[in-house]
Amino acid sequence: MTSYHIDFEPVGRRGKCPADKCLLDCAHQLGVGILSMCGGHGTCHSCKVQVLSGTVSEPTPHEQEALSPQELKNGWRLACQTYPTSDCKLSVPPQSMTTPQRIQVEGLEVTVAPDPPVRAYQLQLPVSSLSDPRADSERLLETLEQQHQVHCSIIDIDVLRNLSPQLRSWNWQAQASVRDNEVVALSPWSSHKLGLAIDLGTTKIAGYLVDLENGQTFAAKGIMNPQVSYGEDIISRITSATKSPVEAAQIQQLTVTAINQLGVDLCGEVNAKPEEIVEAVVVGNTAMHHLLLRLPVEQLGLSPYVPAIREALDIKARDIGLHIASGAYVHLLPIVAGFVGADHVAMLLATEAWQAEGLTVAIDIGTNTEVSLVSDGKVTSVSCASGPAFEGGHIKCGMRAASGAIERLLLVDDQVEYQTVDGTPPVGLCGSGILDAMAQLYLAGVIDKDGRMKDNHPRMRTRQKQLEFVLVSKDEQDGHPAIVITQQDIRELQLAKAAIRTGIQVLLETNGCSEEEIKQVIIAGAFGSYINVSSAVTIGMLPSLALDCFRQVGNAAGMGAKLALVSRSKRAEAQTVARQVGYIELATAPNFMQTFVQATHIGRYNRGG
Amino acid sequence: MNKVKQISEAIVQLKWDEIAALTNEALEAEVPALEILNQGLVPGMSVVGTKFRNGEIFLPEVLLSARTMKTALEILTPILSQQDTPSMGRVAIGTVKGDIHDIGKNIVVSMLEGNGFEVMDLGIDVDTERFVEVVRDNNLQILGLSALLTSTMPMIEETIKALEKAGLGQKVQVIVGGAPVTQAYADQIGADGYGADAVAAVEKARDLIAT
Repeated sequence: MTSYHIDFEPVGRRGKCPADKCLLDCAHQLGVGILSMCGGHGTCHSCKVQVLSGTVSEPTPHEQEALSPQELKNGWRLACQTYPTSDCKLSVPPQSMTTPQRIQVEGLEVTVAPDPPVRAYQLQLPVSSLSDPRADSERLLETLEQQHQVHCSIIDIDVLRNLSPQLRSWNWQAQASVRDNEVVALSPWSSHKLGLAIDLGTTKIAGYLVDLENGQTFAAKGIMNPQVSYGEDIISRITSATKSPVEAAQIQQLTVTAINQLGVDLCGEVNAKPEEIVEAVVVGNTAMHHLLLRLPVEQLGLSPYVPAIREALDIKARDIGLHIASGAYVHLLPIVAGFVGADHVAMLLATEAWQAEGLTVAIDIGTNTEVSLVSDGKVTSVSCASGPAFEGGHIKCGMRAASGAIERLLLVDDQVEYQTVDGTPPVGLCGSGILDAMAQLYLAGVIDKDGRMKDNHPRMRTRQKQLEFVLVSKDEQDGHPAIVITQQDIRELQLAKAAIRTGIQVLLETNGCSEEEIKQVIIAGAFGSYINVSSAVTIGMLPSLALDCFRQVGNAAGMGAKLALVSRSKRAEAQTVARQVGYIELATAPNFMQTFVQATHIGRYNRGG
Repeated sequence: MNKVKQISEAIVQLKWDEIAALTNEALEAEVPALEILNQGLVPGMSVVGTKFRNGEIFLPEVLLSARTMKTALEILTPILSQQDTPSMGRVAIGTVKGDIHDIGKNIVVSMLEGNGFEVMDLGIDVDTERFVEVVRDNNLQILGLSALLTSTMPMIEETIKALEKAGLGQKVQVIVGGAPVTQAYADQIGADGYGADAVAAVEKARDLIAT
């Protein structure tokens, strides 16, 4: 097989790639994070790159549709559609990179009495001698028993492999980390007793370094999930992983490498080493969970969408390539269903929503939105395909919440007031800004309840036979392209908000409840924390309730992971939650279609015509 | 305004509660049923299609227009069938194996019915064998295959292959659609047509039958 030398700029990654690999696959092979929202199908146009030198295959119909003749002439191509035919040098523009973005790690702090699954004991072992020739393992276990009344019968094989030299070099003093009746780590006296909690999201990964003894968080950090380069949504990832075992292995490898780096970074902040982490907890949606564990995912993408396992799991961290103390375990919280995962369980655990008194809605908004309704101690959940619109996908000027994204927006007479992420000049709209724009245009009568734009505002104009509202004009930002909301954007948003509202509505109807009876709505997740709730209520995405009924709780899944990390009783509680939560397959719910069509209307949800 | 024009307007204006009366009035005024269909209803639906295409109207309005159309057709069909006027065409449609999503498919069904097609709705999660059986046992012009997920999209191709294997490739024309499906995919798997949306699907069905 012929291969070519491909050079990706400005990141400066280069290497040999086989001629039968498209540029996107070359990028992935070389570890260059190019966005691929559709998973390489040529439909999302997010993987635009410019060919600076060298020759490539002819443009495909997808590219002719996505790129103007001028762009094609200038070497712009879709990486997923283009194959090298010689050595090439490419430029990857920032908007095609899976660059660092604002990632929320904060969430409400819930305190729990630490009751960690791993405890550390300081040991002073008797020196081996001719008169005390016990094996080092016996010496260790018997000292634990004598000095701490802790009975252990197993020593992890990797601990055993290092036991003898370590005891001697540490002068017979050591700290043993014990989990149930197993010694999972041995370290010098007074080492850190660290735990790692990971919220493995489809788009983002949040990590927390926690003191196992007092439950205190030492450090927190969020990164992008590098799997984004295998597709934006869960289904694309599942499809990629199903293609071949090699691809599934690459996805797993990419994920665990990112988590390992996150662990190194977090430890760096407190001058610790990843080997001092003696327990980890991972929560994630079912697909993330299965991909991390290399469990089969094909059946997740096909009706009836069943997981391989629902129960909580304890496995050796090394079995999935996680670089923490070699004998340590990683605990995975239980799952509810194929599309309601451990992250939702963790959220219900952290917010205590599952035991709420009054009628409660708990919702985590994302590309996939999970909703639970708690009614008289009964918990019912659904998963809604809300799509990428609120993450900026399929929206003309949409983007993620990176620098320059308009995150808040207000229409004052004919002027648009806005606030951007990091306060930098505006370049596009992120989810919360998009939501505000829709609500503001509706309130101003620029769009009606059917979602139709009206040419009744000085900021309205027609481009390519389509009405659009100019939020920031070319003149208002020094000649940079105008930021607009188009009629088509409004249609995308109507679909997204209808999906979410339909989920809430089906839960209410299934439980014989009505909107007015809801006592509280808990909104979790990054998007949910940044939104202006009143905008979401205005367009009818969320129930029409007094604003003080809403609680924006931040990354509650991450908080749930932390609770499960430091508390054995919370782990047990998570099992109870997962078993107790019922699941409704939204698409098969009675009146699903009528409800959905009705929910596309903007404004307060109204069952009748 | 003449009666036929009024009927056309009623479709565009979504006057589902007035269409029956208007249709009956036109028949009483001895406007031929075929003229009501071809000069009134069909042009009305075509306007609805254009408005949907350019974003002027959305799903609820499209469904309402289909309902309005269907109400008129229910009055006209008995007369048209007496006159031996054939239906627009016979279509079977379903969501492929592994997929249970049917909003899009249901909208296509409504639009097809609204446009005078006879539609067999096979539902969701339909086995390829069932599609083959239906094509073999019925005199159909069009088979519609829908998938919402990238993970179930390959079942569209499987179904087309199964039809060919059963020697039914020439018996029916296949139109494919659904969120992840594209024209390029349709071409690649050898489908006869692609419907980007419900309006396009109806137009495609009409074109394929005409040729």
